Amino acid sequence: MTEEVVATAGEGAMEVKPLSPWADTWRRLKKNKLALIGLVIIVIFLLVGGAQEIANLLGPHNASESDTAAQRPWWQRGYLAPYDPNGGDFHAGPAGPINPPSMKHLLGTDYLGRDVLSRALVATRISLLVGIIAVGIALAIGLSLGPISGYYGGAVDSVVMRMADIFFAFPYILFVLLIMTVLGPGFRNVFIAIGILSWAGYARLNRGSVLSVKQVEYIEAARAQGASDLRIIFRHVLPNTMAPIYVAIAMGIGGAILTESALSYLGIGMRPPDASWGSMITDYQTYFFAGQWWMLTFPSIALVVTVFGFISFGNGLRDATDPKLKE
Amino acid sequence: MLTYIVRRLFQLIVVIFGVTIITFVIMFLIPGDPAQMLAGKSPTPGKIALIRSELGLDKPIYVQYGRFVNRLAHGDFGTSYQTDRPVSAMLKENIPYTAQLALAAVLLELIGIPLGIYSALRQYTFWDSAYTTTALIVWGIPVFVMGLFLQWTFGLKLNLLPVTGAGDLAFGIFPNSWNSFLHLILPAIAIGLVEVAYISYMQRAAMLEVIRSDYIRTARAKGLSERQVVFKHAFKNAVIPVMTIAGIDLGALMGGAIITEAVFSRPGVGQMIYSSIGARDLPVVAAGVIFSTFVYVIANLIVDLSYAWVDPRIRLEE
Repeated sequence: MTEEVVATAGEGAMEVKPLSPWADTWRRLKKNKLALIGLVIIVIFLLVGGAQEIANLLGPHNASESDTAAQRPWWQRGYLAPYDPNGGDFHAGPAGPINPPSMKHLLGTDYLGRDVLSRALVATRISLLVGIIAVGIALAIGLSLGPISGYYGGAVDSVVMRMADIFFAFPYILFVLLIMTVLGPGFRNVFIAIGILSWAGYARLNRGSVLSVKQVEYIEAARAQGASDLRIIFRHVLPNTMAPIYVAIAMGIGGAILTESALSYLGIGMRPPDASWGSMITDYQTYFFAGQWWMLTFPSIALVVTVFGFISFGNGLRDATDPKLKE
Repeated sequence: MLTYIVRRLFQLIVVIFGVTIITFVIMFLIPGDPAQMLAGKSPTPGKIALIRSELGLDKPIYVQYGRFVNRLAHGDFGTSYQTDRPVSAMLKENIPYTAQLALAAVLLELIGIPLGIYSALRQYTFWDSAYTTTALIVWGIPVFVMGLFLQWTFGLKLNLLPVTGAGDLAFGIFPNSWNSFLHLILPAIAIGLVEVAYISYMQRAAMLEVIRSDYIRTARAKGLSERQVVFKHAFKNAVIPVMTIAGIDLGALMGGAIITEAVFSRPGVGQMIYSSIGARDLPVVAAGVIFSTFVYVIANLIVDLSYAWVDPRIRLEE
């Protein structure tokens, strides 16, 4: 879609300057309150989950960080966490390790006296990393195979699409389970497994758009100028087929976070004692049924709110980029 | 039409082959030796070797795969390493539990259709925004979180419904006793509620699109009542795309709901496969994967065919 088309279709008589596709999308997105709430949730999620990296970018390490935290791998430190997320304390409160929310521990402590808030914060960065890296892997595969498949057609297309069929038909959670059983539990394996299994959706989505875009005149013009196939695909075709992909990315990050939590719930996601929202939920469910509600409730809320943010923003973005819904 | 069906069935065969090959390769890569696991606590090397040759595990992977395909072509899924029972018998035992759950959940999710239509007809009202917000929140609730809160509320606090297991033995796609019906309610709600939210959101979007189309404007212009416009003209076109979602859901759920079955400790195809992965029980895993893939692909095919049958504008060429 060229800028001109967007401008003539979306603009009233008052404004003269044609809007760029981004500005037009934003103008339409702004009207959707739910999408904006989703966007705010996503920004908060990025800030909380990325606090460590942001702090590292802003300056050297804070000296107040304990040594034990510094010894842990980088994804487990959790800059905002007030306590060591994996460090137990059997005298966390008057009642022993398990304490309901208080001023000292805002979200209470768990059965090992670990601070639930700290664990939930560290889990936030896990979810963020899983979401971004898994979708990144899927995108890298999908957006290489999809455009090539759609552009060349023929045998290449058949092979890629039959592969996509197989990945689509394979029951997803079962596939992830199998891959995780091979790779073993752990942080890196989770996003590898989710990433290599989700490419088919992006590939298929993008192939469709490429098929419709490749017949357009400016592609013809680029070819006439002697541009190579790869240049045409990645410089001219791909950028014009991205709108549905952005929607799929938003939904995909939400989906990857859900899948990670499901894997951790089944006990083959994160390796204990590392926290993720899913592993906290499975870890604390017996305490939940025993009336110690705070351990399980807070990670559940964090998970649901975050996924809501991505779904809500993704849906809003879909509506804002859908040419059929233009007024 | 016939060539279309034949081509799709041919694709199904390709997919089943691909899926089984992937399953075989993955099961081979999983660390651990099934023969050693079966041999017991302190096995002699001879015993392990015996089990290995009995199961054909001493042969290379392609020979094992060839034997598997050969057996499959004769309708034989093989024998479970773990239980030493025919896999087909295990499948037959577990399918009713899964089928009951899938059917109940899909019936429940159809509630989303009237909810979505109602919401669309009242766009920009308080009800619409409140409902859409709720739907989006519920859509993102993981099924295990939903399950845990249902168990806590209806099992622990209200003590109304059983929270684990499946009650009596299941035989068909319908619960055969009051007890098994009660056991079905919470798992079905756990899956169904999330899907109700999703379906109603989709239904709302589909209805909004249809209600803005030209033929609806024509219908209104010629003075039809709003009731007639909605139910005679808009309803059919808005409902068809959403029904396809429900159909595909049914196919996906028939293949086993691993997480829901885990939360509610409910037997079923998902549980059967999940426990067999841990035990490296290749024949059961492979059969389960084939079954799940098969029902899913067939459900998709049926949905596509009925879509074309209901909506003649759709041509089944590509």
